[in-house]
Amino acid sequence: MGKRAVSSDNGRSTPRNRGVGMLIITAYGIFAVSAFARAFYQITPFPQQDKVQFADAPLALSLSGFAAAVYILAALALARTTTVAWKVALVAVLIEMVGVIGVGAWTLMQPELFEVATVWGGFGRDYGYIPLVLPFVGLFWLLKHRSAH
Amino acid sequence: MDAVVETPTVMFLVGTVICALSTLICWVMTVLRSHPADSSIISLAAIELYLIVYGIYAGIRQAMGAAILGEAWEFWGYIITALLLPVGVFIWAMVDKTRWSNLVMSFVGLVVFVMVYRLEVIWWGSAL
Repeated sequence: MGKRAVSSDNGRSTPRNRGVGMLIITAYGIFAVSAFARAFYQITPFPQQDKVQFADAPLALSLSGFAAAVYILAALALARTTTVAWKVALVAVLIEMVGVIGVGAWTLMQPELFEVATVWGGFGRDYGYIPLVLPFVGLFWLLKHRSAH
Repeated sequence: MDAVVETPTVMFLVGTVICALSTLICWVMTVLRSHPADSSIISLAAIELYLIVYGIYAGIRQAMGAAILGEAWEFWGYIITALLLPVGVFIWAMVDKTRWSNLVMSFVGLVVFVMVYRLEVIWWGSAL
């Protein structure tokens, strides 16, 4: 996916939510949708025998829901170009970074608490470690495109 | 020559090929075109069509009483999410019609492949 010499980009004038930025927002959008769908399925008490109910794993399922909320917030904030959106995106991306590293370490130390998979479990192992890489990419992109103030 | 390849394997292999081709086409078009290429868009349509066929096949089988190994709710949740994906990404890719639209669209093949893999595991217990 290397950048070729032939490029129609306008260089620095490309807004934060255009060009390559669209890729990052797409990745966040996909995670927002899939994390939400997963958390929705996990937390909704569908009456099934095999399904882990919320009461059985409140911590893991709460984290699933929280992660979904952070991805949704980050995707929406990254897609907007206002100064407020930049700040919101920065906070969301930092929370995400702390979340994936913190929860990742936590699942290593106390795996018995996390028998149900969460997005950030094992540093995002179930998702090809993309959840670990994504906040760094997002942070890099935000710092590269600082808002006016 | 009576080795019959099982249907789930065929469904999974067809999905894998379609997703791989789509991603490949989108990557090539990112290099070749400075606008969203027709071939990229058609490849997304092919993925959507595959998912519709997959859903109908699963629906008919389950309506006729064939149980799946995992949870039906989870299975249909995955199918609905997967069906929304090519449409959503297509709309997003059209917001800004640059070469990057092709790269944005290449995500669909990658993600749908993983989702079909998960669907197969829920359905049969394994993908192959």
